[in-house]
Amino acid sequence: MKKTLKIIAISFTLLLGMNTFISAHHAFTAEFDPNAPINITGKVVKVEWINPHAWVHVEVKEAGKTTVWMVEGGTPNTLIRNGINKKTITPGTVIVVRGYQSKGKLCLPRCIANGRDITFPDGRKVFMGSSGTGAPRDGSDPRERR
Amino acid sequence: MILLSRLTGKISLLAILLFTNMPFVFAEDDHSEIHDLMAHLLDPAAEAIWDSAGFVITEEGEFSLEPKNQKEWDKVLYGAKVISESAFLLSRPQISKNREDWIAVSGLLKVVGDKAFEAAEQQDVEELFRVGAELYQVCVACHQTYMTD
Repeated sequence: MKKTLKIIAISFTLLLGMNTFISAHHAFTAEFDPNAPINITGKVVKVEWINPHAWVHVEVKEAGKTTVWMVEGGTPNTLIRNGINKKTITPGTVIVVRGYQSKGKLCLPRCIANGRDITFPDGRKVFMGSSGTGAPRDGSDPRERR
Repeated sequence: MILLSRLTGKISLLAILLFTNMPFVFAEDDHSEIHDLMAHLLDPAAEAIWDSAGFVITEEGEFSLEPKNQKEWDKVLYGAKVISESAFLLSRPQISKNREDWIAVSGLLKVVGDKAFEAAEQQDVEELFRVGAELYQVCVACHQTYMTD
């Protein structure tokens, strides 16, 4: 009986603990504002190759102020298929990201954006998002049905 | 053997939670029932898989996110088993309403959960990363059809 009670107590603890996680998987409109497009130009300082979204951290220097934007991309597999990989996007690479700001827009606690496409120093522009997430049909996604 | 015992215990916990008519699992309202199942079981379980494979590159170098000890691998095993069992719950007639495509996607979720469990058992990080991408594809396939907001 004591063991059963312990099991039930632990199970509730586990579930409550799980609730504190922040969901990594979400629809575009749950997190980002389709009416807040943004261009981010800066140096890559960190790349997270994780599912379900890769994240590119871009350091932007503007008017003496340095801000790091976390830019959400598609799945690592999608990026790799589009030619964005460990070798093409390394820390120090200066890129331009076109995307949409998070709904908060106040950079609190962090500046977050959803990336649509990324332009490399050689001028190559590549789609960096995922298809079918509810992001605006802005012409970035080559797989969009027009 | 210890791992098996731990895991059996955890699966028992899940079984207790899932089959004791807990309100959040068997609510009257279909939408809230599915929402709660996603929010409280599937999302955290999926994140246990996604957070355990991949790498981070900074100016200082490359860092793997793979579990560092058996305790961390156990979390992945648990998450994988939750995904498989959640797929079973989603396929039940009360939720599926016998929709064939819904049941089919639930089946895919079960397959992915089982693959993740096997990868975690083998402590195969590359496979776990690959299965993580597959898991996301299943999520998106279902959400594109059924998610209304």
